[in-house]
Amino acid sequence: MSTPAISIQNLTKVYPIPFKREKVTAVQDLSLTVEAGQVYGLLGPNGSGKSTTMKIVLGLVTPTSGKTEIFGRDSTTVESREDVGFLPENPYFYKYLTGEETLHFYGKLCGLSRARIRDRSKELLKLVGLEDAAARRLGGYSKGMLQRIGLAQAMIQEPRLLVLDEPTAGVDPAGSREIRDLILDFKQRGITVLLCSHLLEQVQEICDRVGILDHGVLIREGVLGDLISIENQTEIILENAPPELLAQIREMIGKSSGRLVAEHRPQKTLERYFLDVTGPKQS
Amino acid sequence: MTAAAPIATKHKIFSPARVTAIASNTLLELVRLKVFYFLLLFALLIIGSSFFTSKFTFQEQFQVLKDVSLGAMSIFTWLLGVLATAMLLPKDIEDRTLYTILAKPVPRFEYLLGKFLGVLLLLFVAISLMAGVFLVILYARQQDALANAARLVPANALQEQLADIRAATFNKNLLPGIVIIYLKSALCAALTLLLSTFASSSIFTIIMSVIVYLIGHIQAIARDAYLASQTTTALTKAFLAIVALLIPDLNSLTLVDDIVVGNAISMVLFVKTASLGLTYIGIYFLVGYFVFSAKEL
Repeated sequence: MSTPAISIQNLTKVYPIPFKREKVTAVQDLSLTVEAGQVYGLLGPNGSGKSTTMKIVLGLVTPTSGKTEIFGRDSTTVESREDVGFLPENPYFYKYLTGEETLHFYGKLCGLSRARIRDRSKELLKLVGLEDAAARRLGGYSKGMLQRIGLAQAMIQEPRLLVLDEPTAGVDPAGSREIRDLILDFKQRGITVLLCSHLLEQVQEICDRVGILDHGVLIREGVLGDLISIENQTEIILENAPPELLAQIREMIGKSSGRLVAEHRPQKTLERYFLDVTGPKQS
Repeated sequence: MTAAAPIATKHKIFSPARVTAIASNTLLELVRLKVFYFLLLFALLIIGSSFFTSKFTFQEQFQVLKDVSLGAMSIFTWLLGVLATAMLLPKDIEDRTLYTILAKPVPRFEYLLGKFLGVLLLLFVAISLMAGVFLVILYARQQDALANAARLVPANALQEQLADIRAATFNKNLLPGIVIIYLKSALCAALTLLLSTFASSSIFTIIMSVIVYLIGHIQAIARDAYLASQTTTALTKAFLAIVALLIPDLNSLTLVDDIVVGNAISMVLFVKTASLGLTYIGIYFLVGYFVFSAKEL
């Protein structure tokens, strides 16, 4: 069995409240594993401990107790971050740098050679669709473009794990779709993704596995399909079915022990409809 | 591009390349804030001071010019060091840029060192530019005085007068004086960096830094006054000793007065003053690092 991308064992984080004797438990006895190549959704309401967990994984916060590892390396060590790319929620990079300069800066921090940084920047700017904006300063970037350059900087050293905190927060539906497609692209390349998001529909679309945190406790965890499928129901979607066929099916159901719960036309999502009407017109 | 083969080089415990990347980016960040506009103010100040000294003797004119210029350099570099340093960490935390940097294989020591070196570079550029403006004006005034002397002074006393003018303008005290001004501003920047590692905002950091600066300047006078008093308790003495240990006597970290009155600055005095500054810079930076390394981000 391969080494998990993230291994969290009995993680607890307690924050003392300044000038008071009370303490706040942000994460309590959390254990979870994210296997390599998975897209893992970490869900939970505000204040549930998602960000704290993520920060501990990234070594930005020290755990009170427990252990976290990234590809088998203790995540409190600086070396473990060689394998990680991180995009925080609503990031503001240095506005005076251009898109290309931003990637060069982060490439230098990762110890890449000058030639490698140049190649990687070119490759990533193309991947995130910012080739034309490479020479523009980030101060003039839209929210969606900032998120995309953020994804590119996270990928600069070609990490095996991407940690994304609300990657589509504040981005319009088209931009959100682009970011989602990028995440799916990363997944296809075998990159593990830990995703924190409030957009449950999006999580449902891209995640293999989810964990739900509430008040610092992992209350549900598992393969997404298993968690949300209704065990005793079956959905059949027919195309161009004549009324006679439908009548026959209803009759057969009536004769069986099963019960017809609902019968309706499938609907496209509002997002799909929005993208259809606002997207580029077909000639 | 596949996930199977990470391309990062083997992690180094300390990487000058990473520190240089952070330092040069910090310098760029500060320069983009247009901090060098204050140089115009500096130039106006020392050119303006010339108008008020035209009736003075040349010795007095040069004395005032040096006093105003070196004093202004001292204040401007201090202000620049404090204001620039105070905003660095809070801004990176607020914009979450710090997270993206520390989520890369960058040790916190290197991040802090890079930021500090960026400020030191900025101060170096600023003091070099100010010193350049000062020396150009001093040279222009010297040439003016030499021309006047050649016109007005009798031939038998001319050589002596010219030598006096030259001695009153440029001498070997100027460079150590400027170096100490730089070190003093670097010390104040290191102190501000230390304060910003645990302060909650830039404003708080600036206020604290100004207070410490004032304490640094008045503590020697206060200490002498208290210790001369018969009623000083052991507790007060202990308190004064702690203050003296934590905050250097900033009055002793200047050679401007000696330069202005023309006292010779010995190598011993220079080395002693510079060592005091460097020691406190080192201590403040290291304490700042220890606070920052334990900081929950």
